[in-house]
Amino acid sequence: MDPQVKDDAVRAPGGVPLLICKGLTKTFNAGQATARPALNGLDLTVDRGDFIVVIGSNGAGKSTLLNMIAGAIEPDSGRLTLDGRDITRLPAHRRAGMIARVFQDPMIGTAAAMTIEENLALAERRGKGHGLGFNLTAGNRGRYRELLAGLALGMENRLSTPVAQLSGGQRQALSLIMASLSKPKLLLLDEHTAALDPRTADLVMAMTRRLVAEQALTTLMVTHNMRQAIETGNRLVMMDAGRVRDDIHGAEKTSLTPADLVDKFKIENDRMLLGS
Amino acid sequence: MDLVHAFLNLVPVTLSQSLIYAFVALGIMIPFRLLSFPDLTSEGAFPLGGCVCAAFLLAGYTPLLATVAGALTGVVAGAATALIHLRFRINPLLSGILVFTGLYSVNMRVLGRSNVALFGADNIFAQINPDILTNVGLQIVTFAIILGAAFLALRWYLMTQSGAAMRVIGINPELAPSLGINPWTYTVAGLGIASGLTALGGSLVVQLQGYADVGMGTGILINGLASLVIGETLTGRGTVLRQLLAPVVGAIAYYQLLSLALSLGLQPSDLKIATAALVLITLGLPLARAQGTMRETMRA
Repeated sequence: MDPQVKDDAVRAPGGVPLLICKGLTKTFNAGQATARPALNGLDLTVDRGDFIVVIGSNGAGKSTLLNMIAGAIEPDSGRLTLDGRDITRLPAHRRAGMIARVFQDPMIGTAAAMTIEENLALAERRGKGHGLGFNLTAGNRGRYRELLAGLALGMENRLSTPVAQLSGGQRQALSLIMASLSKPKLLLLDEHTAALDPRTADLVMAMTRRLVAEQALTTLMVTHNMRQAIETGNRLVMMDAGRVRDDIHGAEKTSLTPADLVDKFKIENDRMLLGS
Repeated sequence: MDLVHAFLNLVPVTLSQSLIYAFVALGIMIPFRLLSFPDLTSEGAFPLGGCVCAAFLLAGYTPLLATVAGALTGVVAGAATALIHLRFRINPLLSGILVFTGLYSVNMRVLGRSNVALFGADNIFAQINPDILTNVGLQIVTFAIILGAAFLALRWYLMTQSGAAMRVIGINPELAPSLGINPWTYTVAGLGIASGLTALGGSLVVQLQGYADVGMGTGILINGLASLVIGETLTGRGTVLRQLLAPVVGAIAYYQLLSLALSLGLQPSDLKIATAALVLITLGLPLARAQGTMRETMRA
């Protein structure tokens, strides 16, 4: 662990890690000819305030890991502990108050047929339960307008516009705001800029860094983009065949160059190289 | 001219009827449009509500209790369809078919035979005002008030956090859990409310007509669906309010169309294929049009 990149203030008393993944395994289509091990005894510990970038070739298990942490996939064996609580069998909707995520597909992260403000209001109630109070009130509308104005995305005057009318980049930006709105303990980003054009991807990435820094969000980000992997986060986790193959942090992470990465991991994945 | 007169004379009676069938159309709109769940339960929930209500009335219970009991059994039927789909991952259409097929036997048991007359038994309309059963104008006002109350309740619910959460299930089921929305809760509740409304329609129809029949559900689903799609072409679906108005406006329009068709000399048995064709055209036309435009674009 490197003390210089971590703010001791955001650590829990006694330094209990935020998330512990212990021996996670998952085989899809087990017992069939198409059986495919996705996670193979994965161990990973995430400390409070960590911004971990996860890379690895296709099929390394990155998305499976994120889906498992979010609760969309149950592990065959192993254990997930969040903030000292065993969440291994907790259904996804009951983790939502603690864990927020942004999906790769801009279509999934928002409810297209609903307006921007309706989406934000739903996201704000994440983990608090959706009760019989009005979803939209003068109070929360005003708050959303202010929030969006501060981000200068041009969405603050379009609160009652259906999300379907937004561009992919705007939808990802909104999805990111929605994820951070309920102040989650853990933010999961699953290749959330991969479906965007390079310029928009850069904008969304810049916004991601800002939100994560401002709210001191503990974040796990999967990416195929080498430049993002180098420029972002305090830790870089390389996955291979369903396990963590390397975990670079501290000064080594800070001084990492693309050449180092290629060298270190002998990356043969075209997509990763093209992204660099 | 006789045809026109015949039709015009029927307008008030048809309007009165359609206000009750609007409950069924609302009960079909909720799963089909808000939950994206093609739910066929109404085919069984409608007679279930009617038969249970009739059985309660014949057993001497108060009309209000009988009506509520009819509606509640509908809630159970809708919830059953939802649970069959969720628990056993059975296709929504098949889940609905299983439930309404099973309900036929239940309805037979509840009623004791295939149809009963309710002469002599009390009913909710006679309790409100005995003139309702004979005065069509009074009927229209009464039904409009009951329907209006149900409409406003739904309108209010859909504006709440919980109502918005329910809509997410239909709009983006993948997103729902990550917003903390339990898909099971909302699917069961949504289908329950929907079939409850349909069964309430069944209870009211039975009390209006003075008899119950286990076969009264046959074709009710397609009538409701026809009402819904006609309504949607009239009101649009752009907002929650329009989507909610569609089944009501559609039911009123659809039953007038049926009455017109009958006035023109169509046999009641011909109406089924006419309705099926109507639904097909309304649902199929936008797609056919889009493909036509595409072909033209390709030629150009």
